[in-house]
Amino acid sequence: MRFWILLQRDVLVAWRKKSNIYQPLVFQLLIVTMFPLGLGAGAQTLQKIAPAVVWILALISTLITLENIFKDDYEDGSLALYTLSGMSLPVAVIAKAAAHWLTTGLPVIIFAPVIAVLLHLPASAYGILMLSLLIATPIFSLLGTVGSALIMNLKNGGMLLSVLIMPLLAPVLIFGAGAVLETTLGNTPVGHITLLAGCFVLSLTLAPLAAAAAIKVNLE
Amino acid sequence: MQSTILHISHAQCQKGGEPLFAPVDLVLQPGEMAVVAGNNGSGKTTLLEAVAGLGSFCQGGIHFAPDNNRDSWLQHSHYIGHSLGNKASLTCLENLHFAATINGIRTNEQQLSDGLAQVGLHGYEYHYANDLSAGQKKRLSLSRLLLLNKTFWLLDEPFVNLDQTGCDWLFDCISKHISQGGAALLTAHDNKRIHQQADHFIQLQRP
Amino acid sequence: MNKIVKFYHEMGSPPSFYRITGHWLKPLLILALLLTVYGLIDGLFFAPPDYQQGDSYRIMFVHVPAAWMSMFIYFIIGVSGIIAFVWRMKVAEAVMMASAPIGALFTALTLLTGMLWGKPMWGTYWDWDARMTSELILLFLYIGVMGIYSAYDDDPRKAARLAALVAIIGLINLPIIRYSVEWWTSIHQGASISIMGGNSGIKEWSMLRPLLVMALATKFYYLYSMLHRARSYLLRTEQNKSWVSKQFIEN
Repeated sequence: MRFWILLQRDVLVAWRKKSNIYQPLVFQLLIVTMFPLGLGAGAQTLQKIAPAVVWILALISTLITLENIFKDDYEDGSLALYTLSGMSLPVAVIAKAAAHWLTTGLPVIIFAPVIAVLLHLPASAYGILMLSLLIATPIFSLLGTVGSALIMNLKNGGMLLSVLIMPLLAPVLIFGAGAVLETTLGNTPVGHITLLAGCFVLSLTLAPLAAAAAIKVNLE
Repeated sequence: MQSTILHISHAQCQKGGEPLFAPVDLVLQPGEMAVVAGNNGSGKTTLLEAVAGLGSFCQGGIHFAPDNNRDSWLQHSHYIGHSLGNKASLTCLENLHFAATINGIRTNEQQLSDGLAQVGLHGYEYHYANDLSAGQKKRLSLSRLLLLNKTFWLLDEPFVNLDQTGCDWLFDCISKHISQGGAALLTAHDNKRIHQQADHFIQLQRP
Repeated sequence: MNKIVKFYHEMGSPPSFYRITGHWLKPLLILALLLTVYGLIDGLFFAPPDYQQGDSYRIMFVHVPAAWMSMFIYFIIGVSGIIAFVWRMKVAEAVMMASAPIGALFTALTLLTGMLWGKPMWGTYWDWDARMTSELILLFLYIGVMGIYSAYDDDPRKAARLAALVAIIGLINLPIIRYSVEWWTSIHQGASISIMGGNSGIKEWSMLRPLLVMALATKFYYLYSMLHRARSYLLRTEQNKSWVSKQFIEN
């Protein structure tokens, strides 16, 4: 029950500040424009890097939004409000991750085909691109709660957050971008997708505990 | 109200491995008010946070009677700190609604606006918390106290940012709460009136 | 048995840890130096040249022990992280934070010597093969542990607890990285050239001997350097305790 209340509030807060929702997308568009400018606009060149670039852009544009998951709540004191409500902390973390996914991950998935078109991704790979992002963006949000909880009372924690969660995201990137690449090469992506799903299960079970532990230490 | 007692026994908080203040003892019963005083950096906020359940003690701790467990203590207490806990981009009504529901209290819009009217925020229901003045923000967070109706109020510097009428109003609020069988533990570093009124006075000392 | 238990408890308290390890420093340093000198001379001059790589393989006597240490030290950090986080043991915090920079240095040394070795072997300084890639990510893990600690420099206790948490997360993550990166290279590049022929290439005792001596030397160096750092860490974080001021009056 409290899960839904917190989720609802977070979505509402994000909705009120719509720049939070569209900024990552604008960011993606800006960066993707730079690729043809820097690499040359040859469709073949772009096609080759498309799986990786679409994926890395999705990852980086999520990364820049992670810092504030807990930082805002810590600064305005509403973190105390829900941690002292008797709500289980890992459940609160999952609610925060779910709200973050709805307001960042979901738009990124919906926007991914646009980026893919700009990079001439082969038509056969769109389905797997969407599927891999659908599994992976919740992982970004879940692991993001851990990073965000670790740095929540630092002033400039953004860079540190990237360092902390890059090693966590590396396997996700390997499996996710790999799935899309395999499809463009005409191979089956089943192995990649299965491992990606494994990453999701693992982060769903461990990330809330780790983030809750980090919040507790930070409040001590 | 059910008879409940908060015992703080030989409690110390630490920062960076060093105790912040000499051990604190307090027995707070419903109908009583305790004031924590001390200079800046003496650990008032840290103590209050630890009592509220946000932080931890390095020595001693709290005992809550009759049921000494975290949940029962959280059910009977409400903490308002320096950061007031209002979301800037939500309206007053939404802020209050969230505070109520997350604490498991079902309310309708009428009750919520009555709650806001009680703290003098009538007519501000649909204003964003961000647009309020510092004093009004404080009032908004205090409206939570009245709505949640918990026995133990834990307030960190509640009189800061309030004008004279605001101070009077809050003072009456706390007095009323106590006369109705509530209890309050608050920090106030220089407020003669509240210091005189207090049943327990804790001056934080260097360890 | 009782002696071991007693020793364990003594090592858990900062003053006795400080006192006991004080006696170990000199022997450890001497051992580390002697073994390094012996290992290097043996490895660089007396070990026979490799039948394929000639003399350039000799960098292995630095590279391989450093690579072993880079992983061994992270394991130590992870384990002392668990101890520090669960039992709030100060000495474990000290061991963890003292180990991190040494481990990071060994990781950097591994990468550097690997690159120098890669040039004559593969014709390139850097190749995204599984080992180098996971070694690079290992370096990020080290930087993360040290970074979170230094970010919370106003409260060393909290910093150490958060660093411990990061170290534990890294310890869980390490096998996943290792596995995924290996899987990744096997798909993208075919089987990568194995420098050592999977370690089994060394059959001659005269090649193995300097390698083992150097491995021992790095262990002793690590112990010496780690204890040295852990002791000063304890002095710094316990500076207001009476045992620290006593140390300074006695000396």
